[in-house]
Amino acid sequence: MQTIRNLTRRHWRLLSVYGLGAAWLATTAMHIPDGYLSPITAIILYALVIPFWYRGLQALRTKVNARSIPMIALMAAFSFIIMMFNVPLPGGTTGHAVGATLAAILLGPEIGGLAVSIALIIQALFFGDGGITAIGANCFNMGVVMPYVAWWVYQAIGGTAPLAANRRVVAAAIAGWVAMTAGALITAVEFGVQPMFFTAADGTPLYAPYPLDVAIPAMIIPHMLVASVIEGAVTALVFSYLQRSNQAALQLNGAPATSATQTGPLSYRWLWIGLAVMAIATPLGLLAPGTAWGEWGSDEFADLGLSYVPTGLARLESVWGAPMADYEIGFLGNASAGYVLSALLGIAVVAGLVWLLTAALARRQHPAS
Amino acid sequence: MAEPVFALQNVDFAYDSGQMALQDVSLSICPGERIVVLGSNGSGKSTLLKLLDGLYYPTGGELKAFGRALTEAAFADDAFNFAFRRRVGLVFQDTDVQLFNASVFDEVAFAPLQLDLPRADVTARVEAAMRDLRIERLRDRAPHRLSGGEKRRVALASVLSLGPEVWLLDEPTTGLDPRSQSWLVDFICAQGAAGRTVVTATHDLTIVDTIADRVLVFGEDHRLAAAGTPAEILSNSELLLACNLTHEHWHRHPEKPDGHRHLHYHGAPHDHGHERTG
Amino acid sequence: MASARGAIERTLAEIGHVLEQSLFAETLSRQPGLLQALDPRVKIVGLLALLVSVSVSRNLWVIGGLYGVALALAVVSRLPVGAFVRRVWLVLPFFTGMVALPALFMTPGPTLWSLPFDWVITRTGALTALFLLTRVGTSVSFALLLIWTTPWNTLLKALSVLRVPDGFILILAMTYRYIALLLGIVDDMFLSRKSRVVGKLSTADERRLLAASAGALLGRSLQLSTEVYLAMQSRGYRGRPRTLDTFAMTARDWAWSFGLVALAAVAMVVGQVGG
Repeated sequence: MQTIRNLTRRHWRLLSVYGLGAAWLATTAMHIPDGYLSPITAIILYALVIPFWYRGLQALRTKVNARSIPMIALMAAFSFIIMMFNVPLPGGTTGHAVGATLAAILLGPEIGGLAVSIALIIQALFFGDGGITAIGANCFNMGVVMPYVAWWVYQAIGGTAPLAANRRVVAAAIAGWVAMTAGALITAVEFGVQPMFFTAADGTPLYAPYPLDVAIPAMIIPHMLVASVIEGAVTALVFSYLQRSNQAALQLNGAPATSATQTGPLSYRWLWIGLAVMAIATPLGLLAPGTAWGEWGSDEFADLGLSYVPTGLARLESVWGAPMADYEIGFLGNASAGYVLSALLGIAVVAGLVWLLTAALARRQHPAS
Repeated sequence: MAEPVFALQNVDFAYDSGQMALQDVSLSICPGERIVVLGSNGSGKSTLLKLLDGLYYPTGGELKAFGRALTEAAFADDAFNFAFRRRVGLVFQDTDVQLFNASVFDEVAFAPLQLDLPRADVTARVEAAMRDLRIERLRDRAPHRLSGGEKRRVALASVLSLGPEVWLLDEPTTGLDPRSQSWLVDFICAQGAAGRTVVTATHDLTIVDTIADRVLVFGEDHRLAAAGTPAEILSNSELLLACNLTHEHWHRHPEKPDGHRHLHYHGAPHDHGHERTG
Repeated sequence: MASARGAIERTLAEIGHVLEQSLFAETLSRQPGLLQALDPRVKIVGLLALLVSVSVSRNLWVIGGLYGVALALAVVSRLPVGAFVRRVWLVLPFFTGMVALPALFMTPGPTLWSLPFDWVITRTGALTALFLLTRVGTSVSFALLLIWTTPWNTLLKALSVLRVPDGFILILAMTYRYIALLLGIVDDMFLSRKSRVVGKLSTADERRLLAASAGALLGRSLQLSTEVYLAMQSRGYRGRPRTLDTFAMTARDWAWSFGLVALAAVAMVVGQVGG
């Protein structure tokens, strides 16, 4: 069986350029089109998401009663617009946020998730962005997983800090980063199970072609480095704007009114706790390919001829796989090791970002110091 | 004398934030009367209309409509809510607020449908309202794609389909070109001539004498500053100046015999650089 | 470091694109044509059935045939066929194509084509890439047929045929309607800000402007939702929305709904035969 065992360094350089481009594209939108998921997967995800919509509508009815319809419609319209905002990135490029974290923090995960779902349905039905059969999947990934993860992280880090506290800005940033990464992970898992179950008689994958051990790093690494950072940054920026100019908006989900005074400079303790949470959250991605390896067994992998896939083009869409392969291809043969390294780099990047953000905030509040 | 449509006794209204919008307002409006509520922006005109429409409730004093107090408890009763909403219609200043449906047809059908009229009756009312306002050709259009004048017609049609006895109009001439404005004035006059009560809030002095039997002036202190006939009010330049409804160059031409609206005022006919209220 | 085109310009361009796209679809959907004349409920059911048959097909020829059906429907509905084809096949290679490309080499299987430097395209790889591309392209085409031949407000109402509750339809309708309004507001915010700035905004300024605009937009959205609620209440709304549709099925509608669903059913059955 001929595969790509003997690639030269030149090839890798070519591939790294390709991978970078692909990674960029992969991170601009997490919207799954029609055709990537088998009908069974699509139906399962519809079935998973509908109870959450129901729950969202219930929460809406109890929280805002008859006002619920205009309220959710305007919030969904707001989410739609936020998804269109281009956020400048270092290096002159721009990227999009999903806005699910912001929606979750402002409205709670039930109602916030519903608003994001409605925005996604409108995109699919009227603008052809994201598939119609994949509405269930997209709403599950971005309208359920993201807001719930975001809410959980935001609550865990924000704790009982006053609304105006810097700690909440950091919590919002980390929540955005973790939520987006979790969303990408779930999406990757949905892609990754396609070739396991939905192939033609001769084994040809009929839908998304890459197995879990390819799909997960290919999706998650660029997200950790770009899209998740954007989501975190947008959430934190808008959050801190609202802290300064519209605190009422931050109390929509029933958060207690607190004093409008800003707390002192950011305690670095919270930054470290936040990063620790992220460090714990990232290896979650590791568990999935680990399980896949375990379930399939290395023999099966060999049978499928997939044993060197992670060595080679597995990381095609990732930013890190290819350049690192230039130094040590063998090292990357161990998918987990490469993935851990990428995760560490991702954490370092986000740590830097959060640090810069909080430093900027601290400087603004204490110009003298 | 007939029972007043609205009777206000020392009504106060303050927003949740504590900001005062109306203070100690007492007045009554009789059936068939055409009233203009004058006041600069922020004087409480819009708030008054929302109070009259039972959307806000007084924070002090008493407000009665058709002899019954308008309170939150009263509106909790479906039968009362139903009856009141059929009799009183409010046209919002901002057509983007008023027009929230997906098509002109849905917009005009919204009120009759919510009020549980039989389906056939709803269709007949919608058709009649669209015909009256000459918007049949817009039937399937999305309201947000319409021009300012068209939006205003649809907004009026959305209330007309209810056939209310009382019209409450909030700054209806905002954003209209002169032709649409004169058409709107004719519409208000026609409603008045048909015996309906019409309450128009405006700061457009040029239309006052045509559409009002009586004028209520609100000051910037959120109190009722004066009430009188259009002639009395419009000739009282001191009052108008005090209430920030005019500036010093403004003066009125002698009464025209035909009594029709005319744009004989000096300078800009009505826009005094005020910003639109939100 | 600043890009040739800043984030604000890009966002403005995208807003313009969305507005343009919805106007384009609205204009097309009001022109005469076969699908335009059908009852929207027939279109929803028929085109969804075809979409599902594309989704379940295990046979490339069937997917190809279904794309032929989509093209034929576009032609008889007098849609601009060039735009219909370009919209799908010019965009697809950049997204799905990029995703599918590595699969050519990575999927194990018999050699189809040997390239220099030991690069090998496998037959299985080529097939899987072809499946992905044709399936996505055909699905998007059917979605486009629906969007381009049905005014959005009619499409929304017709969703009731799928048992979508009235309340949810009203939410979708109001969302779409206020997206249009909010897009205009954002457009104004950015343009007015830009006109006050000489030269380019720095990246930090852009980020600040974006955050401030998002925050201000949220405030405006909340205010609008309160006002709109009052406007609904004023016209009798009590939390139980009611709608009225005036759809009426003609014999032609019945014939077409039967035809489209039957076609989809045949495609589903034939598509189970691998190929």
